[in-house]
Amino acid sequence: MKKLSKEDLQGARSKVPVQEKNWIKVGLSSCGIAAGALEVFDTLCETARKHNADVEIKRCGCVGICSAEPLVEVQVKNMPRVFYGKVDKDTAIKIIEKHVGAKMLLNDRIFDMKISA
Amino acid sequence: MGKTVFIKDTALGTKDRTRDIYGVFLGILREKGLENEVQLVRVVDIGIYGQGVVVRVLPENFLYANVEEADIAGIVEQSVIGGKPFPGKQIPGDSKQMRIVLRNCGVIDPESIEDYIAHDGYRALAKVLTDGSPEKVIQEMKASGLRGRGGAGFPTGLKWEFTRKSPGEQKYIICNGDEGDPGAYMDRSVLEGDPHAVIEGMLIGGYAIGASKGYFYIRAEYPLAIERIERAIKQCYESGLLGKGILGSAFNFDLEIRLGAGAFVCGEETALIASIEGKRGYPSPRPPFPSVKGLWGKPTCINNVETLANIPVILLKGSAWFSGIGTETSKGTKVFAVTGKVKNSGLVEVPMGTAIEDIVYGICGGALAGKNVKAIQTGGPSGGVIPKEFFQTKVDYESLQKMGSIMGSGGMIVMDEDDCMADIAKFYLGFCVDESCGKCAPCRIGGTQMLKILTRVTDGVGTQKDLEQLEQISFAMQKASLCGLGQTAPNPVLSTLRFYRAEYDAHVNKKKCPACKCAKLVRFLIMSEKCVKCGMCFKACPVNAISGNRESGYLIDQTKCIRCGQCFEACKPRAISRS
Repeated sequence: MKKLSKEDLQGARSKVPVQEKNWIKVGLSSCGIAAGALEVFDTLCETARKHNADVEIKRCGCVGICSAEPLVEVQVKNMPRVFYGKVDKDTAIKIIEKHVGAKMLLNDRIFDMKISA
Repeated sequence: MGKTVFIKDTALGTKDRTRDIYGVFLGILREKGLENEVQLVRVVDIGIYGQGVVVRVLPENFLYANVEEADIAGIVEQSVIGGKPFPGKQIPGDSKQMRIVLRNCGVIDPESIEDYIAHDGYRALAKVLTDGSPEKVIQEMKASGLRGRGGAGFPTGLKWEFTRKSPGEQKYIICNGDEGDPGAYMDRSVLEGDPHAVIEGMLIGGYAIGASKGYFYIRAEYPLAIERIERAIKQCYESGLLGKGILGSAFNFDLEIRLGAGAFVCGEETALIASIEGKRGYPSPRPPFPSVKGLWGKPTCINNVETLANIPVILLKGSAWFSGIGTETSKGTKVFAVTGKVKNSGLVEVPMGTAIEDIVYGICGGALAGKNVKAIQTGGPSGGVIPKEFFQTKVDYESLQKMGSIMGSGGMIVMDEDDCMADIAKFYLGFCVDESCGKCAPCRIGGTQMLKILTRVTDGVGTQKDLEQLEQISFAMQKASLCGLGQTAPNPVLSTLRFYRAEYDAHVNKKKCPACKCAKLVRFLIMSEKCVKCGMCFKACPVNAISGNRESGYLIDQTKCIRCGQCFEACKPRAISRS
């Protein structure tokens, strides 16, 4: 990696607004991993590849809702950004097929917490 | 964006009506031919508790509580179709949380420095190195009013100033990641979720105090945190954020990791320094303070993980912004790890001065189903309990101290009516006795004696004299112990004695445990008139103390019973008495 300069840090902000991209974030801190988030992460990647889904799957730290781990945050264009809690393999597959693919939110899986103002 | 409607019944103790309301809602949408345009979703949790059926309409984020079937047509007409609020049932939809320390946790990829930089990472460092002399940085920190988040709440700017002014060529900055309080894990979460923020905080701190070397002291029980910090440090060296001539300035800084081997006392400054030096983790008397004579005899500044994670934001947004948050004496936000018998355990970050009830009931949803919250415990083994009668207390350093507890590192353990206060005090004291290093007599002997007395009390053989003695030993330990561990170890005992004296009295005088927790004082009996002979208790008993069959009914053998309470929890018709 090249050495950074001060200018690199000033202009580093992402050009594309977050709402325009499709992404899934999986909380992969100790609490998530203990609850089985690694398996969820792998399942999401595998299913997304299988369906050639237009979505980027990323890892992140713990967002703080530890009782609902494994926690998966999903942002799809023109849909509200939501957290899916206590996600297992089946739910992970449904997230890709239904939410990302068919643009339908899943019932009985969303943890609608406002974590910041 | 299409319309979305979230539905959840948040009422406690009644049948879940989420599906019924969902059905009515769907019927009305069908009538209007909107079932394909509007997404109607049943959610598991809507962030509001105990307010009947709650409906959220997106994207406008209208929130309605205590919704009845009659309201639905109006909500559909006004909000879903009209895009306007439906009067009467609307409640504010904003969060009580405010994220400064956890700003990037769950947002960025902790293993990618690019992601951190894309979220304003290292911009504060660049700003400081461009136009801020170290004195200016310290001035800014003092103006911000940030206080150490490790527990004692010493002003960070002042600590930096002392270290800067201490004579000496070589100085050090240490990040204290030896998080040991039972139930507290916010430091781990920050190290795992946003490692670069802590490194940036240390770089700025190092620049301000004139240190060229920093140490991470992280407990070895946090392997993932260590791995992510290691990776982050490597990335920093590769991109020139660590090493010589950082970002083209004259500032040099190196970082190393040291692992703690699992001693609670090593979170204490002087013991931590001894541990880094490779000595046994013994505390030593202060003064001299580490800012004068610390690591290898050089001036050293020790900051907690959460404190360091605050620093980049403060310097980027300015001290005036930061000091505008919180109370008169406690500025900014505090992360609490809410655990125990609470619906949503996890990390909560709120501005200082938020009421405890807003955290426990508002954000975390209160007690588990069918129970009531009794008290919270803050500050770990050095803190105390706060009964629910005092939940309007605001969380800041002074208010919690006034309540006989402390802020501590931010553990908040929720207890319900099944928790016995003498038992809780015994647990925390037992923790301190285990972790006492044994160097000074008040802590070593006092702690052991107090634990013995408490064991007598919970066994039902204690006397009033024992309770008096508990208080006496407590005061002696507070006055005469060498370090913080011993000085604060009696706090849980004193605080439970202060608020729950009646519970202690019941143990000693009546030989009864009001919470039915203390094994020696509780008996489980099957009431044959209520028993439906289902056999659930028989299955639940881990030691086979319950005998019988589905014809004749069941009996508990008191000599075999270990009083674990499993049968009591398992019995649906509540035919097992606990006394």
